[in-house]
Amino acid sequence: MKNSLPQLRAERGWSQGDLAERLEVSRQTVNALERGKYDPSLPLAFKIAKLFDRSIEAIFDANA
Amino acid sequence: MSQSGSSQTEARPAGAALYGIYVVSLAASLLGNLLIRMGAEAGVLPPWGQAVLGAATAVPLMVAAVMFWRLLRRDLDEMLQRIVLEGLAFAVIVYVPLTALYLNLRTAGVWMPRLDPPDILMAPALLVAVGIALASRRYQ
Repeated sequence: MKNSLPQLRAERGWSQGDLAERLEVSRQTVNALERGKYDPSLPLAFKIAKLFDRSIEAIFDANA
Repeated sequence: MSQSGSSQTEARPAGAALYGIYVVSLAASLLGNLLIRMGAEAGVLPPWGQAVLGAATAVPLMVAAVMFWRLLRRDLDEMLQRIVLEGLAFAVIVYVPLTALYLNLRTAGVWMPRLDPPDILMAPALLVAVGIALASRRYQ
């Protein structure tokens, strides 16, 4: 699933490790999320949305 | 998602270390098996000694199993849990039909290599490692 995580992270100047720490997941998971290799669970998607103050649909594109 | 951030970022090294502990524990168990057989053949180990040695050398594997369970439940995030579970599923899915095929062919009289307990113990461990490696590649 495509997403705008890399852009949102870059806007804030965070590394993948920084984002991983904020989301309480591993850096590998952040990397897989950004590359669209792994789709997050609903709780993790909500956590991401809350962290970036966006809706889930604004971050993740289910049609891509 | 109740884990701390620091344990998440360290999940991979922790998992690698645990797999090392698992392999060492497995080696201890196999060594115990070897010593029991050698002791029995040489007549230096009484039956109760063989039983004690057999139980004692299996203890590290039990400790490793508890550590593995704790790692899986507490320290891994959702994707790493998924990778480990897919690895375990791969091992079961491959091990059961292979074992059935081996037993059936052996029963049918087809030549098959003789498998000792160490071989049987090692096969699932190797299959789990292969399964985790395959699952990891899928998410990279």
